Amino acid sequence: MTALRLVSGSLSGSLSAHGLTRSRVLVLVVSLGLLLYPVIRPYDIYPQTVMLLAFLLAIEAVSWNIISGYTGYISLGHSVFLGLGGYAVAIVATRSGINPVVLAPLGAVVVTAVAVLVGFIVLRRRSHAFVIITIALLLTTQAVFTNWKSLTGGSNGLTLPLPGWSNDIQALPFYYMFLGILGATVLFSWQIRRRKFGTGLIAIREDEGKAAAIGVDAARYKVLAFACSAFFVGLAGGVYGYYQTFLNPPGMFSILTSVMIVLACLIGGRGTLFGPVIGAFILQGANEAATVYGGSSEARVLLFGVVLVLVVLFMPAGLLPTLERWWQRRHPAHTHFTNQMGALGQGRLEFTRRLPQEMPAYREAPVLLDVRGVSKSFGGLKAVDDADLQVREGSITALIGPNGSGKTTLFNLVTGVMRADAGEIWFDGQRIDELAAHRRGHLGLARTFQVTRLFDSMTVLENVVSPVPDTGVRTLLADAVSGTEAERARHLLDYVGLGAFESQRAGALSYGQKKLVELAQVLMMEPRLILLDEPAGGINPRLVERLSAMIRDLNEQGVTFLVVEHNIPMVLDLCDPVYVFARGRAISEGPPEVVRNDPAVLDAYLGEEWASEPEVPMVQAVVGGGD
Amino acid sequence: MEQFLQALVLGLLIGGVYALMASGLTLVFGVMNVVNVAHGATLVGVAMLTWWVWNATGVDPLLIGIVLVPVMFGVGWVAYRGVISRISTESVSMSVLLTFGIALTVEGVLNVVAGNKFRSATPSYFDESLRVGGLILPKAQVYGVTLALVTLLALYVVLTHTWTGRAIRATSQNPSGAALVGISAAGTSALTFAIGTATTAVGGSILSVLYPFFPASHYDWISRLLGIIVLGGMGSLPGALVGALLLGVAETMTATYGSLQWATVVFYVAILIVLLFRPEGLFGSRLREDVA
Repeated sequence: MTALRLVSGSLSGSLSAHGLTRSRVLVLVVSLGLLLYPVIRPYDIYPQTVMLLAFLLAIEAVSWNIISGYTGYISLGHSVFLGLGGYAVAIVATRSGINPVVLAPLGAVVVTAVAVLVGFIVLRRRSHAFVIITIALLLTTQAVFTNWKSLTGGSNGLTLPLPGWSNDIQALPFYYMFLGILGATVLFSWQIRRRKFGTGLIAIREDEGKAAAIGVDAARYKVLAFACSAFFVGLAGGVYGYYQTFLNPPGMFSILTSVMIVLACLIGGRGTLFGPVIGAFILQGANEAATVYGGSSEARVLLFGVVLVLVVLFMPAGLLPTLERWWQRRHPAHTHFTNQMGALGQGRLEFTRRLPQEMPAYREAPVLLDVRGVSKSFGGLKAVDDADLQVREGSITALIGPNGSGKTTLFNLVTGVMRADAGEIWFDGQRIDELAAHRRGHLGLARTFQVTRLFDSMTVLENVVSPVPDTGVRTLLADAVSGTEAERARHLLDYVGLGAFESQRAGALSYGQKKLVELAQVLMMEPRLILLDEPAGGINPRLVERLSAMIRDLNEQGVTFLVVEHNIPMVLDLCDPVYVFARGRAISEGPPEVVRNDPAVLDAYLGEEWASEPEVPMVQAVVGGGD
Repeated sequence: MEQFLQALVLGLLIGGVYALMASGLTLVFGVMNVVNVAHGATLVGVAMLTWWVWNATGVDPLLIGIVLVPVMFGVGWVAYRGVISRISTESVSMSVLLTFGIALTVEGVLNVVAGNKFRSATPSYFDESLRVGGLILPKAQVYGVTLALVTLLALYVVLTHTWTGRAIRATSQNPSGAALVGISAAGTSALTFAIGTATTAVGGSILSVLYPFFPASHYDWISRLLGIIVLGGMGSLPGALVGALLLGVAETMTATYGSLQWATVVFYVAILIVLLFRPEGLFGSRLREDVA
């Protein structure tokens, strides 16, 4: 039971000091055991061999986990890096006479370069080509190395000199080398996971579009993750070639090895730190047993295939997360409810981005967001048609209009989710329509979504601290949750009334709660302009009032808002000016009292019959019929 | 010049066969968002079955392929209902892993049942050739590509002129919209997967005549076919056709003016170059990135 608690603690993702110490003790004990084992039994070569092959598989699985577990991009040909690393080292070693162990880092460098190159080509966009290219890369590289006889010896392979040490301890140095690389790989993976870089990767896995909205440069993160997932496999490949003393293309670029990497990670738990290690030991053990009990490599294909199908169907999360879930079911956490009174009773939020001086009334204020003649079509449908819109600094501008009038598409064009076909978008005196979505986020342009998009597997607190302010290396390497950040995030969560939920998974929250968390997340970016897409949808009337108060409060501290909302009373109460969109462009604009009585607006919302009966109050009619 | 023409025509003949093999793969991806890595293994499985029936009865392998169409349709339907549908709501990566597992399982079963050795169906015409003008066209290749094109045409007619086909195309363009107008997504997916698998009946039987195969050959095939649909644009049938013809011509050209061994390598370098400039492939549409 204690052991399980340890495992569970290591997993829980929450960075409580409690869980960390317990899992650290377990890791320390296991590491010590592995370090001392050969000292106690130095001449048991067979178990040492089995162990070192398990270490190698674990190195590969932990590395694979970075691109395919954290980031969610499956690589089906990961053994290509083992082969490339091994061959790079072997080719130089046979020509120069330098010891392969000394050259092993060369293997790491070569595979990292290859990963960056391939990643740059296939990971720039959100696309399913990656998994295909990884299979192709493995098979093509195998073909190249078979055919390029002058360099690689073709199918005859390359033979390396035998290691210089005594035959009695032949496996021992390799045992420690692989153990050392495994330790480094696990530390590396852990460091990635606990930094902003790692949170960004998880964000990409959960929702790549949303990740961009909070400032994550997905393309750069993914390429970097692929490089990280190649590095140690290449290093291990250099050593592995020497251990084998013989390299041939089918052995070094083996599909079966790729399968084992994937399986090890799946069995242990994709996306967890130690899952791949545990999975590797289980799988290598099973593999060894299969060999001992007469399984040919052909039979192993069948075995691995069936296991892969079964794991995907019945235990897709893997061993560790399954255990964790079981543990949590046995020990349910207390249920919390939105602290409505707390949320409603909280005072002003101390917002850090303050206005330089007393703002002029917004009508004279400079234009913060300027949309000029923007158009966007989907096939024959003009969703946004030569639209103009200006949001002045310090205003709470509303954008209303019937469904399908192009409001959300305009949001998408402004935030960079889509590119406009024509027109210009300026933000704070800078033209932004060519900028990537994450760059616009860095400039202080934030948005919430109509249907909230939180990272469901992260905790509420992790969600709130997930935005990144720039693409700098320092940010990438910063702690995922630093002390001051966590403090600020808790403050924001208290502000929206969800302080009690900080360590819950976001996926467990209700729809309305998610909306509030998303607002807190957006505030974490310290934005200058927040685009709210139907903020009041699905929230109870009291909270709508509170939400209006929050928006007003933030606005007084210098945050500008552009709000899309169907709750017309809220809009008319809160916003000025109001833009009315119909058929992809603004048909009316002005203070709420003017827009309210504009016949064009009535026409757009309700059709001509309604417009001919002006005595029907528009507000009631729209609220009755809105969604 | 004659050599060039010979290589070009032969390349197009080969590409026509590739097009049929890739059509099922791209159709399944387009409609269901499933990258069916088991497609190659299914082809090799059909080739093995064809070889076995041919060896036992002497019936023409291509004819066997036609007979196998309803059989493979059933296999696809059962595979979808029994296995694939269990994860259809999850991400693409899970379907890749699942179908990869199925591919390995099929390979393993073939290994156990048939053994790890090369086979090839050799009907009477397999080493005969037709002479058209100055060109030499292997009969097997001509028969194979004819059958492939007829099958592709049939597929095209089914997709454009039947309600089933309309449902499939509607689902591929907008699954939730299709559901709203009364198309059962699960039913359509099962049908699509069944049709995609049915194309391997003809494709696999052609394979058994044109190419020596053994259980692990499916890796070569799947990487070739996946390459074709990535190049053409994933989910696009015209893209698959163009990608397949390009691969066929690239292979014969490389073989004629270089060495056959480098043919696939040349093709993959070409794919990477295309992806560098058009990440969505030649005929692919970009993913709507505003849809989560």
